[in-house]
Amino acid sequence: MPKLKAAAVSFLNAWPLTEALKDSERIELVLAEPSRCAALLEAGEVDLALLPVGALAGKDYEIAPGMAVGADGAVQTVLLVGEQPASSWDEVFLDTASRTSVVLAKLVLDSMGVHPKFTPLPAVEGVARAVGTRGALVIGDRAFDVVKPYVLDLSKEWNRLTGLPMVFAVWAARPGVLQPEDVQELARAAQHGQGIRTELAQEFARQKGGDPEKYRRYLTQRIRYGVGPYEMTGMETFLRLAAEKGYLPPTVVRYADDHVTRQRVRRVVSLDTALQKGADGERIDADEAELLDEKAPLLELGLAADARRRALHGDGVVTYIVSRNVNYTNVCTTACHFCAFYRPRGHREAYVLTRQELAVKIEETLALGGIELLLQGGLHPDLGIEYYEELFRWVKSTYPAISLHALSPEEIWHIARTSELSLEPTIRRLMAAGMDSIPGGGAEILDDEVRRRIAPLKCSTDEWLTVMRTAHRAGLKSTATLMFGVGEEPRHRVNHLQRLRDLQDETHGFTAFICWPFQSSNTRLTASDGSATAYLRTNALARLFLDNVPHLQASWVTMGGGVAQAALHMGCDDFGQVMIEENVVSAAGTTFKMDSEEVERHIRDAGFRPSRRNMRYDRLPGLAT
Amino acid sequence: MISALAHKALERDGLGPIRDKVLAGTRLTDADALQLFEAHDLAALGALANHVREARHGQLAFYNRNVHLNPTNVCVATCKFCSFARKDDQLASEGYTMSLDEAVEKVLSKRALGITEVHIVAGLHPTLPWDYYTGLLRRIREAWPELAIKAFTAIEYHYWAEKFGKSYTQVLSELRDAGLTTIPGGGAEIFAPRVRRKICDDKATAEQWLEVHRTAHGLGIRSNATMLYGHIERLDERVDHMRRLRELQDETHGFQVFIPLAFHPEHNMIGKAYPKPTGFDALRTAAVARLYLDNFDHMKAYWVSMGERLAQVALGFGVDDLDGTVLEERIYHMAGSTVPQALSERSLHDLIRAAGRIPAERDSLYNVLKVHDQPLPPAAPPPPRLTVVSA
Repeated sequence: MPKLKAAAVSFLNAWPLTEALKDSERIELVLAEPSRCAALLEAGEVDLALLPVGALAGKDYEIAPGMAVGADGAVQTVLLVGEQPASSWDEVFLDTASRTSVVLAKLVLDSMGVHPKFTPLPAVEGVARAVGTRGALVIGDRAFDVVKPYVLDLSKEWNRLTGLPMVFAVWAARPGVLQPEDVQELARAAQHGQGIRTELAQEFARQKGGDPEKYRRYLTQRIRYGVGPYEMTGMETFLRLAAEKGYLPPTVVRYADDHVTRQRVRRVVSLDTALQKGADGERIDADEAELLDEKAPLLELGLAADARRRALHGDGVVTYIVSRNVNYTNVCTTACHFCAFYRPRGHREAYVLTRQELAVKIEETLALGGIELLLQGGLHPDLGIEYYEELFRWVKSTYPAISLHALSPEEIWHIARTSELSLEPTIRRLMAAGMDSIPGGGAEILDDEVRRRIAPLKCSTDEWLTVMRTAHRAGLKSTATLMFGVGEEPRHRVNHLQRLRDLQDETHGFTAFICWPFQSSNTRLTASDGSATAYLRTNALARLFLDNVPHLQASWVTMGGGVAQAALHMGCDDFGQVMIEENVVSAAGTTFKMDSEEVERHIRDAGFRPSRRNMRYDRLPGLAT
Repeated sequence: MISALAHKALERDGLGPIRDKVLAGTRLTDADALQLFEAHDLAALGALANHVREARHGQLAFYNRNVHLNPTNVCVATCKFCSFARKDDQLASEGYTMSLDEAVEKVLSKRALGITEVHIVAGLHPTLPWDYYTGLLRRIREAWPELAIKAFTAIEYHYWAEKFGKSYTQVLSELRDAGLTTIPGGGAEIFAPRVRRKICDDKATAEQWLEVHRTAHGLGIRSNATMLYGHIERLDERVDHMRRLRELQDETHGFQVFIPLAFHPEHNMIGKAYPKPTGFDALRTAAVARLYLDNFDHMKAYWVSMGERLAQVALGFGVDDLDGTVLEERIYHMAGSTVPQALSERSLHDLIRAAGRIPAERDSLYNVLKVHDQPLPPAAPPPPRLTVVSA
């Protein structure tokens, strides 16, 4: 198969997106100046190009979703400079190499009430002539070296004006060219490139001179490569405002996955039959599940799921576990914009927990009757497998009573990559060091059509399942999760459940299924239903479809106690976790006791008997009160 | 008709005879209600209650656009479940009493918001004169003739009758002449004397509460009924409470809606000993009430008390009314409610639609104003802040 040709600039900020394409088997990289990239794509000499956002204007291109060169504050490489404040400028020299920056400069100056004469001039000359009441636009790597008394960082100004990130460049292609596999390849390259930003900064310093640390900070702390709803809105706002001012022709932004539809040809099935089959414990297929998801009334789904729960767990016991969530680090290279938790390495709030800090947390956990640590963290670029091995060994030798429910599939991939190991030895070494089970987080929706849209830089459906398959085969148990309400359709949820059920048939390694709604305000993703009704329906459907997964956990933490109680009557048999809160220290005893009592009161009030369990879902008889 | 699954589940739980009565339209006994309360099969109970609910109202779910006014929180009663009342209007006790001008202005200031009802509840204030109350209603009525005034609980009417030496008929007809539209259902708590003695021994008795409503219904004033559950009462006392309401309703047909209210434990005496009833209890109580109160047209889930999530789920458990947008709610928020201060009409629609129901705006007398069988047009996106900065 012939490779696709992709044009890109040689600017440092593009390197993390392009570097890993150099040895790609699907895509061939062609380096060119920014304005040249657009011309090559226009002429059909390349299939796609890393285009400045302004070059999308008026064109019918499709954008590869999920990745871009952007910033949500100062960027350092798109500047207006001068000897006096911008308010005094009567002429501004524009480096026309990037139309995007020119338009951004005009929008920013407009917003300040400054309306100078604009004169096109190459940057080197423009900067030299930016004296007195004259300013100049300077972009790209040469902006690193400009020294002028007054500097407006245009990305920072944009952020201040709109509250949105600025997107400078995106992968764009002529319609219909980008196949899902190509987008996947671009995302893989971006993911890899972000992992080696330190090395790229060093290489750039070797080639061009300058301080590698400065470049590293630029790549890790200034430029953002992930695109979520905020970035999409930022880009669309930029294009809209530019069109309103007449700086650019109007543009409809389209993404390469908008036209992707891979629908099953659905059989006609009967709702009543599907419900009855589900209730009787007969296996239902994807078509039946999709119909149930779309059409079954809440209580009918609930009654059928309740019948299944009674068949599987007929003794009226509802379990829960006492454990503690510990996030060992908040350093993460993925830079998902949805995430309020992560910090870049070197940030003053970045941390990796010390042994001493962990010891305090574990001892509190034990003192309160906790038996498990749910240990998860960011994708820290410096932590190799040895760190985790030592950590797990230390926990296990110091606190033999503690179980480690540790590391989501995403983290395990990351550890394998940074340690240059394949998955199986990675998992076996972590197990040997003390990892007891794997939390099923990060599954979101296991359908790449949705995944690419909401979490493009996370591992793919196959990768997530591969970690679980490998872990199960090695003898580990794990949970499985689903996050709904991200704009997915019923068929995506059903595909997710189908993938889980298929793997479970193969490995029988999943102990429990847990779902919850995506919770976020002020993003485009809230468009779909994350209500309590949707939660109960999704749980009930899962109970019917996942006939081979033993337990279903009700998520009172996300839905509240009352809705979780209702879930116990619609398929769930477990009430989740009594969590020991991070910030509770001396008062922990009281708080914990209340929480544990409260969980048991909810279980009893709903008509069940509570029992504590461990992470393998074995009941712990002595501890139930 | 109920589904085969529901039919079977009810049979399994020994609820077959009750199921058959409901399907035949036969009235449930107190023992039936108690058995439903104790069955602990939420999904089957819900399916049965939903059958009755859909037979009456189809897929409609009602709401209105309302504002609350609590002109004073000074109250001589000492109800042990109350977080709102204060003994005087001194600053130190956080007590307050609005002047007539203030109270009227507070209501009139909401004119632009498309409100159709003001819900007024106060305390048993020891010194406010009778014409404060008649004046309040008259001035609102004159300034805003089309606004429905749902005002004052039976407890207040009883207190004023004693304090001002008037009969219930006099109190009610004078306020009706001043502008009263309908009466809220508060103050009923639990009718059983054992419970009343312990939680509210110095306010109107069950008989007095019921007599006020009987009188109102006789004057053509329709009213609502509540039940405050989840504190010290037993399940049979909940059934007794509902039985008394059902009996009065047989006599007058003046009740519009039944509203079970969960007790909120924060900042009050009973809360020290009793936790908040769980959501399971809320759903179960709604469903049993729908099945037992066969002469009540509407069942309300008051979202301020229940939380939006649970209120939405309750729409499948016999409930057909979510109260309203509820601007300016104070009483539950002072008892620890963490729900928003008000819900927009759009949020209410979203809540109702996500439950698979159709939003229907009603007025205070449960006349349907508009069935929203089409979604509201999408909200305009917030404008970028660019224009603000350039000003």
